[in-house]
Parts: sequence; structure tokens; C-alpha cells
Amino acid sequence: MYNALPDEILLQVEKPARYVGREVNMVKKNPSDVDIRFAFCFPDVYEVGMSHLGLQILYFFLNRREDTYCERVFAPWVDMEAKMREANIPLFALESQQPIKNFDFMGFTLQYEMSYTNVLNMLDLAGIPMFRKDRTEEDPLIICGGSCAYNGEPLADFVDIFYLGEGEVLYDDMLELYKQFKKEGKTKQEYLEALLKFDGLYMPQFYDVEYNEDGTIKSFEPNHPDAKRLIKKVVVTDMDSVFFPEKQLVPLIEVVHDRVTLELFRGCIRGCRFCQAGFIYRPVREKKACTVLENARKLMETSGHEEISLTSLSTSDFTEFEELACGLLDEFKDQQVSLSLPSLRIDNFSLDLMKKVQEVRKSSLTFAAEAGTQRLRNVINKNISEDDILNGCKLAFDGGWEKVKLYFMLGLPTETEEDLKGIAHLSEKIVEKYFEIPKDQRPRPVTVNASASCFVPKPFTPFQWDAQDTYEDFGRKALIVKDEIKRRQVRFTYHNTMMSSMEGVLARGDRRQSALLYRVWELGCRFDGWSDLFDFKKWQQAFEDTGLSIEFYANRERSYDEILPWDHISVGVNKSFLINEREKALAAETTPNCRQKCSGCGAASFGGGVCHEVQI
Amino acid sequence: MKYRFKLYKGDEIKFIGHLDLLVAFQRVLKRAGMPIAYSQGFNPHQLVAFASPLSLGLTSTAEYGDFTLKEDLDAEFVMEKMNEHMPDGLKITSLVKLADGVKNTMSSLERAEYELYFDNTVTPEDIKANLENFMERKEILTMKKTKKGINETDIRPDIFWAKDISTEDAAAVEIQVSSGSIRNLKGETFAEAFCNHMGKEYNKYAIKCVRTEMLMKKGEDEFVPLNYGVER
Repeated sequence: MYNALPDEILLQVEKPARYVGREVNMVKKNPSDVDIRFAFCFPDVYEVGMSHLGLQILYFFLNRREDTYCERVFAPWVDMEAKMREANIPLFALESQQPIKNFDFMGFTLQYEMSYTNVLNMLDLAGIPMFRKDRTEEDPLIICGGSCAYNGEPLADFVDIFYLGEGEVLYDDMLELYKQFKKEGKTKQEYLEALLKFDGLYMPQFYDVEYNEDGTIKSFEPNHPDAKRLIKKVVVTDMDSVFFPEKQLVPLIEVVHDRVTLELFRGCIRGCRFCQAGFIYRPVREKKACTVLENARKLMETSGHEEISLTSLSTSDFTEFEELACGLLDEFKDQQVSLSLPSLRIDNFSLDLMKKVQEVRKSSLTFAAEAGTQRLRNVINKNISEDDILNGCKLAFDGGWEKVKLYFMLGLPTETEEDLKGIAHLSEKIVEKYFEIPKDQRPRPVTVNASASCFVPKPFTPFQWDAQDTYEDFGRKALIVKDEIKRRQVRFTYHNTMMSSMEGVLARGDRRQSALLYRVWELGCRFDGWSDLFDFKKWQQAFEDTGLSIEFYANRERSYDEILPWDHISVGVNKSFLINEREKALAAETTPNCRQKCSGCGAASFGGGVCHEVQI
Repeated sequence: MKYRFKLYKGDEIKFIGHLDLLVAFQRVLKRAGMPIAYSQGFNPHQLVAFASPLSLGLTSTAEYGDFTLKEDLDAEFVMEKMNEHMPDGLKITSLVKLADGVKNTMSSLERAEYELYFDNTVTPEDIKANLENFMERKEILTMKKTKKGINETDIRPDIFWAKDISTEDAAAVEIQVSSGSIRNLKGETFAEAFCNHMGKEYNKYAIKCVRTEMLMKKGEDEFVPLNYGVER
């Protein structure tokens, strides 16, 4: 018997390989030989989770410890969930195929708000009480990391620990301490109290919240003498010496990204004001090109992949970008390895390089323009001009591309009808750029795919105080853009407006939303990030049943002196800086990037990265 | 240099479908550091081809296929290296350099053999009582999925022999059937038709089906395994 599930069940579900593990480079340990069992839980389906670099890093990071067995758990797809509930089979880990109910830790990565109901559902499927207050010494500790953990308040009633920052920093200390406490027979509560001395860990139970009559927060106070008033995130300062896996799990079925993923740097110099990642991951800390090349060699050898992806928040900002990309292409030229370069900026990519990349396999080109007019791009500090965009596209067309994808956002602060129509106009100008090429040199028709997401104000950004548009607004605005597009070469699509609205609610939610999440789970919601499974009616009903309002969380502008649910957490960027950025945004003034000029955001306090680079 | 492999596919990896298996196999070649030959053209791909897809959930002791390397390497060496890098449940059990002019496995394939292990709703006595008269039938009509939809087809001409290989407490048969691009009968389709014949419910998720051989024609009426007499 290899599997937790009988063949009869596996044969009746979609993609049974999601549930059987045994992929290439999977870590095998005897569970009885370890002190700590850690379930790395990704609250989405296997193919999504297996494409996540953070999983690959933490999996091998934790498993490098002999005393710990880190195993993976993904959210079973709805067909499998039904079978498991019917046959009373609890959620299990892929490696050992054993139930996770008695593991020591269940660590969730929170990458997007719409995965929260999957967190609840996975706890339930595992047979673990969802609410922290109902759990006992026998149950695992629930720890959450990832970008959404920076405001995990909506999950406060369910989670023991929110980990704020990069996993490489604290896990060794935490696990050592856990092992010691376990040996000494101490309780989990004693362990959690001992963790209060660490930066980077937020445990909701040690804080009490009181509310004003209007629903805003009156006070947010520690209720334990050791609980910090301000919890600062933890970051790695030297990216060249930090652990990076020499192996990568290689799935046996097709996943979202089948490739070797190389990390170039963390953080981003740009400071686009809508972008949460651009603030919470500060400061920029780069690897050296030679480190990345070394990582690449090992991973290519141990994976057998044919594609390398260079990932970061803005890949072409990597100091040694061209050297690295050319170095990789030269090194793996004979092995038919293609290079994938997500997150290129339109103003600094090189045609020579793109041509070289194209020699192996042709990929599509995607640029983030974000807004339709210069004014609005200044508001969000997206420092690219219309000329940059048009020249970038021209370069791409000259280089043989005829398909360009553009990202925009609807509902950005200060947006007017002119800005919306600007999306249409800009897309059409790009088409016209294509027609500047002599007719005999354009073999295929041009396509510009303009894709719009709905703006969601996020914590720790200058727009954290702003009102989000209602979903009705988003729908109306999308139609304005659509109606303005005259050229058939432009295709316009936009994101699910109601889903964006729910995302807006959860992103800036407080702990009263735990009741909402429980209710919405009870009503049967899961995989809410999948538009075919997202059921807005159920969310509406959950709001009604819990007495909470969408408007309060999503569509309300906050004042600067309101206590925000995440004010007890510090990402190293000062609130005063965010306020200043917001004021500049409203005046359509831009801020230079970290390499041009330090704006004194506060992230220099971490003592590493771009803040301390010698300016030449 | 062209090589022909015979591959074992076990329970550990039986939920990996045909296309995924091909990709997994190509990655084995890469990890093993083999000098892989690529196709020409706009999207070059590794020159690897399997004889015939195996349905999801089936195991096999005899999957065949060919691949090409840019160099002439010792077959034993290649097999050893590749087996070091195989995922659990996959193992090359034989590898030979292919002689010139040998047709590829896909177009050579004419017959395959399967072992079918029934769930406990079928007893060894049931097999004993039914297999012979099943094989004596002139016509065995089944509903078969084809490219054009579901058709009623006579599968009797595709069954060459069937043996009772039941043990004391488990019902099982071994069969040889058509396989390949011209005529093809899946082991599962036989099992279904036979269950119907016995008046038993066909429990498709509980019957275990193993592909045990793949054969090509040699001379007038002899059928031999795909790696027989093809060595350089």
C-alpha cells in the first residue's frame, strides 16, 4: 500500500497524481526518526502550490534539519474533498501519506486573501478544531506566513502564530526551542509565551482589541507582559550566504510553472504606491550574479527542466541582469534551455537580449503599464512614460513579436473618465506603432491584449487609507474602457469585480472577520480565487448573517489617525513615509527609486541591502 | 545513436498519464546527463517516443520506446545512468542499440498482452466456468469509444488467446489482444466484455490490469517482443 487513498478513489478523481507524492527529489525520512513533524500547507490546488518558490525553499530548508520532517499538504480539489468526506479519510501529507492531525506544526503560506476559506477547510479535513480556543495539546500549532500574514487579522481566531518576514531567519531558533520544550514536557501555551521574545512573530491571543461605536478600533493592547507593542518583521541581510536549495521538487504532472526558478533579489527599488510587495519586502537585497549562476547549475543538473525563470519583483532592475541572462543562455545553449523573464520593465529591457532569449523558444511579452494616462501613472509612482511604453513595444515589434500583453488597473485613487479612456487610447497607439513597420515586414496580424485588474488597497502601502471602488463601480468603469476601444486588434479583459471586492474586504480586515470566514466556509465556499467556484451570493449572505458590512471594510476612506488592524506590525517602512507618499500621490508627484535617491522610508534600519550600498 | 528501451511502470507511478510520463522520461535523460538529440525546427523537442499509451492506473512490465542520443554510448552504461535518476516506480529493464532500418515501436506494434486481476465479486470458479465459452463466441459486441463517438464494435477478432491464471483465491486471466494504430483493444475493454458475459458487474475501479508484453510481427505468423532481434 503506497497511498493514503485506495485506488478506487484515486481512479475516480481528476488528476490523481496530485495526491500521491513521490515526485523527483522528494525528501524521504522515517517519521519515527524525527522530533518534529511539520506540515507545509499550501491552501490551493497542487499545481498552483508546486509552482511556488517559497515552498521549494522552505521545504528543503526545514528538511536540512535531521530532527525535522517537513511534508507537503495541498488543498484537495472539490472532487477529492467529496470522496474524502464520504470515506472519512482525514487530510494527509504527501510524503508519508499519513494524517497530519498529530503533527507538531501546520504551516500555511498565505499568498492571496481568497485562499482563506481553504485554510479553514484544510483544518476541518484534517480533523483539527478550526478555532484556536477549541484546540488541545494534541493538535498541531497553526502558523501562517506569506504576504497576507502581514495583516492576518481575519484569521486571528484560527491561527496561533503569524510569521512576519523571511523563513530562513527564525525557523531554526523556533524549532530548537520547540524540541527543548517538548522534551521538558512543557505545554504549547508555554512555548507560545516563550516565542514572545522574538521579533517577527505575531500571536493574536496576546492582544486585546476594543472597538468604537462606529466600528473602528478604539484600542489594540497587549495582554501579556512579554508581548511587544510593535512587532518588526525579520529579513535576511546577506542573500549570497543564505540557504538556497540545490534541488527542487520536480512534479510528475504538469503544473502551472514547470521550470527551475531562480531568485535574483528580494524587495523592489521602485516604490509603486499600489504595490504591497514593494513595501513589505523592503529593502532590496540582491544576490550576486555568480551566486545565481551557481544555483542554476545545480538546479538544472538535479531537475532535468528545460526552462529557467528569473524571478523577482522587477527582474530587469537586477544590477547584473544582462550579464546573468547572457551567462545563463551561453551556459545552457546546447541543452535547449529557454529563459523566462517575468516582471520586465518596459523602459529598461534590451532587444538584443530578447532576441537571444527567442533563439530557443519564443515567449509572449507582457508589460505592466498599470494606468492609461501619465497623470495617473504619476499618482501611483509608476515611473514610465508613454514614450517608454511605445518605444518598448516598437522594439518588441522590430524584434519579431506581434503579441503584446498589457496590465492595467481599474479604480486607482483619483482616477477619472479620461484615465479610463486612456487605457483604450494607449492600447490603440501601440497597434498604430505596429503599422509603422513596412507592410512586407509584418507577416502576422498584431494583437494587443489589455487586461485590467480591479485595484485593491493593501495594508502597508500609501493607499492603505483609501476607499476601494464598489464592484458596481468596477463594472461600470470596465464598460467605459470597452466602449472606447475602436480597433479590433485590441482585446480587453477584466478581473472578476465581486471577487476583487471581497479581496478588498479581507485585505484590510480585522479579527471580527473570523466569524465571517467561518460562516462563509459553513455555507460551502472554498477555492474562492477560482472564478468558476467563487459564489458571491454566499459571501453576501455571510455578511448578513454576521452583521458585518462590505462597505465598512472595502469602500470607506480611513483617516490618518484611525487605528488600523495592522498598526502593531512594522515592515520597517514608517507610517510617516506612507502618509507623505499618499500626499504626493494626490498631488501626482513622483518619488525617485531607491537607487536614484534614498527617500528615507525607514527600511535602512534592517542594516542591509540597497540602503547600505555605496553610491557611485 | 538510436536506443530501444523496455520500461517497468509500477504501482508507485501508475497515476501518471502518458504525456506526463513522456516528459518525466525526458527529464530522466537530462538529469542523467545524456547527450540528447533534438528535433529540428521551430520548437525543438527531445527525440523520445513510446510505443503506445498506457491508461491511467495501469501498471506495466513491458513499456517500449525509442530515443536518440548524439553520441554512441554503451547501452549498459546508459541504462545504469538512467536508472539512477528514475522516479520511484520506473525502471528500464532492457536497453539495446537499434539496428539501422528498424521501424519505430509505434508503427511496429501489433499485439499486447495483459493480466487482469478481478475483484472478489468474481471467483476463480467463475473464470473456469466462463472463459472457454466466452472465447468460443463468434462475435463479441461492445460499446467502444472511437474518434467518431461511441460505436458498437465486434472485439472478437482482436482477442488472440485468453488463459485462466487464477490462483486458489483470486480470479485472473491473461490475454493477448490487438494493439497499435490499426486495431487496438484495451485490456480494460476485454475485462468489461468478459464481465458482461459472466453476468457480473464490471467494477472498473477495482479490477487490476497489468500490461505484460508488447509484440510485433516477425515473418508470416510469428509475434515477438518489440525488442526482439532489433539490436545493432
